Amino acid sequence: MKNILLVAAREYKQIASTRGFWVMLLVLPVVIGVSQVAGRFFRPQTDSAYVLVDQSGQYEAAIDRRLNLNYQRVELGALSAYVQRWELGGIAPDAIWAKGERWFSDDQVAQFVADGGIDAAWERIAPGKPKDAPAYVIDPPTYVRASLPAGVTDQKGADAFAEALAEPLKGDEIDTPEGQRPLALAVWIPAEVSTTSPVRMWTNGAPNTTLVDNVRNEIARVQRARALEASGLAPEIATGIANIATPIDLSAPPQGAGREQVVIRSALPLAMVYLLLVTVMTTGSMMLQGVIEERSNKLLESILATIRPAELMYGKLLGLGAIGLTILVVWVGAAVGAALSVQGIVADIVNPSLAAIEPWMFAAMLFYFLAGYLIISMLYLAIGALSNSLQDAQAYLMPVIMIIMLPVVFMMVSVIQQPNGTFPVVMSWIPLYTPFAMLARLGAGVNVVEVLGTGAMLTVFVAIEMILLGRIFQASLLRTGQPPNLSGFLAMMVGKHTG
Amino acid sequence: MGILKLDHVVKRFGEFTAVDDLSFEVAEGGIFGFLGGNGAGKTTSLRMALDIIRPSSGTIEILGRKPGRENASEIGFLPEERGLYRRMTVLDTIVYFGRLKGMDAASAKKEAERLIERFGLSEWTKSMVEKLSKGMSQKVQVAAAMVNHPRLLILDEPFSGLDPVNQKVLEDLVLEMARAGSTVVFSTHIMQHAERLTNRIVLLARGRKVFEGTQEEARARLPGRLTLVSEADPSSLTGIASATRAGAANGWNSWDVSLKPGVAPGDLLQVCTQNGFALRGFESHRPSLHDVFIHLVGPEQETQP
Repeated sequence: MKNILLVAAREYKQIASTRGFWVMLLVLPVVIGVSQVAGRFFRPQTDSAYVLVDQSGQYEAAIDRRLNLNYQRVELGALSAYVQRWELGGIAPDAIWAKGERWFSDDQVAQFVADGGIDAAWERIAPGKPKDAPAYVIDPPTYVRASLPAGVTDQKGADAFAEALAEPLKGDEIDTPEGQRPLALAVWIPAEVSTTSPVRMWTNGAPNTTLVDNVRNEIARVQRARALEASGLAPEIATGIANIATPIDLSAPPQGAGREQVVIRSALPLAMVYLLLVTVMTTGSMMLQGVIEERSNKLLESILATIRPAELMYGKLLGLGAIGLTILVVWVGAAVGAALSVQGIVADIVNPSLAAIEPWMFAAMLFYFLAGYLIISMLYLAIGALSNSLQDAQAYLMPVIMIIMLPVVFMMVSVIQQPNGTFPVVMSWIPLYTPFAMLARLGAGVNVVEVLGTGAMLTVFVAIEMILLGRIFQASLLRTGQPPNLSGFLAMMVGKHTG
Repeated sequence: MGILKLDHVVKRFGEFTAVDDLSFEVAEGGIFGFLGGNGAGKTTSLRMALDIIRPSSGTIEILGRKPGRENASEIGFLPEERGLYRRMTVLDTIVYFGRLKGMDAASAKKEAERLIERFGLSEWTKSMVEKLSKGMSQKVQVAAAMVNHPRLLILDEPFSGLDPVNQKVLEDLVLEMARAGSTVVFSTHIMQHAERLTNRIVLLARGRKVFEGTQEEARARLPGRLTLVSEADPSSLTGIASATRAGAANGWNSWDVSLKPGVAPGDLLQVCTQNGFALRGFESHRPSLHDVFIHLVGPEQETQP
């Protein structure tokens, strides 16, 4: 055992001392970090200002109210998600934000605004938040109405107004109650809106679709009420008709359940499949190069004089396994750490997935990952032992990779569509693919019998593979000349080799 | 008691017999030469002694035990085909081999540092092996073989690839190891080294032993050769197998003389004196191991003199 550990330590140290290993190890944490930072600091700027001149005096308040309602709706949704995530609903069980993220009607949002809006809600919640929970960040309104910039007047007509705003609309930032913002839209509502005297809008070139739609819809709504009123309806009736909106009570399942259940629960296991593929292919190549180096550098004889071939083989597997485990721990650790410590894209994906995974599934995931790693690593090791050079190895490697990769890729597509379909289930019982298929299906729900059955089969398969690899390894290490043909290879596997 | 003993050992690779009924014994202490041309079966025999490969038949004892890695702590081995991990430092390499041979980390490091200094590699201690010259790499390999103070040091063609200076360094080291109590077994096809270093030798040809004994015993297998300077033809003298005139000067002839088996040069000198055979010159030629090898094995198994 001591020799196995010595070989393992050497293999580990040698790979860990390469630049390639560190690049691979750190790439995911860096990507996660960048995504967090990018999410926070490099978010495309959507905040902007608009100016509005309402010569009629009939639309201005409606437009401002609509934009504020929309802003508060977005904040209410985000705050509800925050409350759900940190389990803060108990602070005010009857509050609208206490029941999780969902779709909110205008009336609900209006009530929320009447109760003080997002600022008042957060003031209630903040004292009860756990210490490790980050504070909820209230985003400023996306669109802020600004006063007319200096030198712009609404007294000389629409054309003069447009001419005066031509420069600011080229991208200048103007003063708003929320600070300086780029001017995105200028709206001119004439005293009497008609086909000959339309509402005029000027943009800064960006689509600003939401803002334009909101302004247009509000003007249309007020116009409808006016038209109904003009047809003889009482003003309150006319306004009521114009405000008609389909009442919707949209119920969504809680996080980790319902239609998103499979996707959420499967996120981590599916990530493990990709992680397994990436780590095994990468470290497998390192292992391959290591064995070929030992063969081509003629140093095997020195080693085999002191330790048994089996010890060398197990040491390599252990060392490379430790490398794989290191990568797994660092990558998963980075993802989980990011999910638990900061808000961001990773947290949004990993947190619900973690919450949906039952404890036994972690053990199963680790087992399938390590078994898959061993199975593929041993194939690489055998190829390395059979090859005199990397060119030799390529000839063996290409078909082996294709045999592994292609069905796995097809299976992954199939699992996302139908986790318990015939193809993934059949793949689960083919030992070479069992780790991939079972990992991919774990999140969708597999029964205990399937887990235990495939687990037992996988264990037996790994043991048999280890015995066969041991024979190939022993027969190949000091072999010279061309790599063996099929009959030579089979002879090695049954132990009928010379040497 | 023999430290290495092969008894009727045979090794076949398919139809090819690499070692054929080989028996010999190496006594503990001293330097033992394992000689033979290329393909004579030297490396195969040593690999069997180290349990890297198994004999087809026959038995091997090493350190009084069966071959196996249990013996590794008492054995140092320098294979013919040598290599090192290119991306390991000199110190780590030697320590690694020391630890594989059962040394604890501290002892392995201490001994590695001593050998590094002994080999003049101190400034390369932390350098990657890939940065070393071939000669320096070979020193590292030798150090890795010796790091555990082996009771038995097996060197397979240790001088191949070394320049004359490093050959001398290695020769000195082998002598030093022997003086320190190690038994050194080295295989070579370069007879000069064997001649300078060994006490006893085994000669192999085509997998079979053709001689085992001391160098003098080996030389005794060859007919004596000498040069006589005389006026008369010495062919008729008792004990002479053949005499060929090699040259003449001032009325004296120079003769290359081969003696009959078992006749020593001194015996011939006595015959000349007894018969009043006039001699002006008498020079005995001591056969080299190369001559012995050619005589015993034949020119097709030529070695380097």
